[in-house]
Amino acid sequence: MNQLEIHEYLKEFFIENNSEILDESPGHLHVQLSIEMDKALMNRPFYWHYIEKMNGVPNPMKLTLITDRDSVNEDLKGELIHFGSPRLHQIFDTATGLGSHVLLYESVNTNGFTKPLKPWIILNGVISYRSNHKKDHFFSIGLSLITGEMIHDIQSHIEYKNFTEQIPDYCFKMNPIIKPQSGLERIKKYIYEQLEEEDHQWAKVAVDQLKKDIALLETFYKDEEDKPETYFHEKEAIKEQYDPKIEISIINGGLFYFLNHPLSE
Amino acid sequence: MLPKIHYDENWTEKFLESLETNKGFGNWTTYNMALKAGKNRLVEEFHGLEATKHLPDLTIYPHQYETAQTVIDKMNGKAVLADEVGLGKTIEAGLILKEYMIRGLVSKVLILVPASLVTQWCRELNEKFFIPAIEQRKRPAWELVDITVTSIDTAKREPHASTIQDINYDFIIVDEAHKLKNKNTRNYQFVRSLKKKFCLLLTATPVQNRLSEVFHLISLLKPGYLGDETSFEEKYKEDHEQLNELIQKVMVRNRRSDSGMDWPKRHVQTVPITFTQEERNLYDEVSKLKHRYSKREESIGQGIAFTTLTLQREVCSSREAAYMTLKGLMEQYENETTIMEDLNQVAERINEVGTNSKAEKVLSIIKESNDKVIIFTEYRATQLYLQWFLGQHGIKSVPFRGGFKRSKKDWMKQLFRDHAQVLIATEAGGEGINLQFCHRMINYDLPWNPMRIEQRIGRIHRLGQEEDVQIYNFAVKDTIEDHILKLLYKKIGLFEGVIGKLDDILEKFTNNQFEEHVSNILLHSESEGEMRVKMDNLSSIIAK
Repeated sequence: MNQLEIHEYLKEFFIENNSEILDESPGHLHVQLSIEMDKALMNRPFYWHYIEKMNGVPNPMKLTLITDRDSVNEDLKGELIHFGSPRLHQIFDTATGLGSHVLLYESVNTNGFTKPLKPWIILNGVISYRSNHKKDHFFSIGLSLITGEMIHDIQSHIEYKNFTEQIPDYCFKMNPIIKPQSGLERIKKYIYEQLEEEDHQWAKVAVDQLKKDIALLETFYKDEEDKPETYFHEKEAIKEQYDPKIEISIINGGLFYFLNHPLSE
Repeated sequence: MLPKIHYDENWTEKFLESLETNKGFGNWTTYNMALKAGKNRLVEEFHGLEATKHLPDLTIYPHQYETAQTVIDKMNGKAVLADEVGLGKTIEAGLILKEYMIRGLVSKVLILVPASLVTQWCRELNEKFFIPAIEQRKRPAWELVDITVTSIDTAKREPHASTIQDINYDFIIVDEAHKLKNKNTRNYQFVRSLKKKFCLLLTATPVQNRLSEVFHLISLLKPGYLGDETSFEEKYKEDHEQLNELIQKVMVRNRRSDSGMDWPKRHVQTVPITFTQEERNLYDEVSKLKHRYSKREESIGQGIAFTTLTLQREVCSSREAAYMTLKGLMEQYENETTIMEDLNQVAERINEVGTNSKAEKVLSIIKESNDKVIIFTEYRATQLYLQWFLGQHGIKSVPFRGGFKRSKKDWMKQLFRDHAQVLIATEAGGEGINLQFCHRMINYDLPWNPMRIEQRIGRIHRLGQEEDVQIYNFAVKDTIEDHILKLLYKKIGLFEGVIGKLDDILEKFTNNQFEEHVSNILLHSESEGEMRVKMDNLSSIIAK
């Protein structure tokens, strides 16, 4: 994310979360936090506990975030925000929590005709390959709960469409033939199958290194019959360092109702 | 092979619950924002550094970037970082730690540093790297804090030691790791007992005296990598090349000379000092004593001769320093009449000394400008004397010693920066303070270990120093100090930092301490000519 993207992201985030932008320039945002956002971001639980206990008048804070130091007045006080700043990651965390699951309907106008909407499960997540190194692989998979059809990278096909939380007029939901839970299972199974087919050279390298280091360790302690505790500690540490694992985690996802096939324009 | 797979069911459960209760759903905007946040955190390659993207305001020098990359990619996160003083080992360690944290490979971290550096480490990690490191002092909460900075002296004490040993740390950093060269110390045992998944040992001087030091250091990181102790000694006594090759796979050592940076210059100046007549008399008296006793065979004679060598060095520093040693001797031999007679002679000469020629010179150098000056002395008595002496002339100075508590060290450094013109440090104070706001240094007397000179100079000649550095080496004419400086240090180009390969030098002294060598030469040379020849030999070994 570059600074411009960060600026746009923050603005969208605050507007979406009922926090009014009081002042803005290309290099900064001055925001009146909502009560929820103050609680989420400002780390002052005692204040909120007190206000709620005493029925006090809440006074959420204002926040100034500077996204481009060079384009703002030198005197402007605020937090510099960039890709590595803890504040941005706190906001990412909050955003991830708020958009974790959805139940959405494709926003369509049927011109008064009654139309069925078909259910799909969409799952966005990460496959992490980890040993002493790590790499992540993003996936976005859609599965039709009617036909069982699966679409890869579905997010890139739907990101320009619009969805609402209310079912559009004249539309009705088709009942899923596959239950959401089974749908999720199918996706999981599919990911496992794909992983089985991959060539996990990285894991071989890690295991070789693991064996090498353990062998060195054995030579170091070869003369000691009763191995000291450090020997077991070291051995454990080497295993933890190299032992290859694959971790699959979900970023977000949900149940989507489509009028048209997701791949259609 | 297919590695173990772990699937996070957490999300699934919560989602199914939402479906059932029809609660907790986001909208299309929050969905897209969550997705963007999640995708932005991905690291899509095994190799390369992500950390730099997170640290836009940090100046990272090329050698630091390369070091971080090498340690992670090639050394699997276990390494000795042995850059020469002042090249930014802390930055390298911070970068490596940050990288592992971004990749989610490390979350629980223990950082062991000298007491005087705890605050500084914390500040740098927080401010430069946005790593929420927390100092642990009086009442540590080891389990609760993810990134702990503490001194090894605190950590190794009970009840802390047992608690720490039970915590599953992902990453351990030890700064000034040359203190772990002796495997019999508690420090060494303690660090050895820790579980080290990823581990960095930081030291500017991986070898100070003996090659075996490097063996112990590396055995902490990777036991068995250099074999066991006995086989190590046998195998590598001669074969240094093979050893170097092995070491280079677990140790990164950047040198100023090849860091490719434009360093401020070092101006090194020898300041010859002429003794007053009274000082000269004192020195000669001690020398007479040395000659007399070094010829005697019995152990008392040798013992006294050795101490007179110390006395000679001390006389070159201050009469106060010499007096402390003399007093010790007098207490030891109070029943030996002839020895006492000799010692009394020396005591009389001490009483006659009025002026300290070196101190006068210090005064004139300090007064040349308003710039700050660091004075290094080997002796605490000299330190006290100088502080008093400068005070008499209206110059404010602060003392600095290794024995100071951490908070006192921080405070002294701050006093020096903000209020005093002069800092007077003893040897042990040399480590662990960064004083790049000062660019003048006086070596009031010289240690006999070249590594320690480099440590001293490294306090001010380091990244962040913007001025050229001035170094004044004091040496009293026609004394052992003069010999050491002229016959040894100057020959090997010590002060210019041109050799820059001190560790190679010291490798050549596998079995004998460097300082012992020098002492022996000075003690057992019959004539000045003999000493000169021996020193020449020594410097030619070094300069090879």
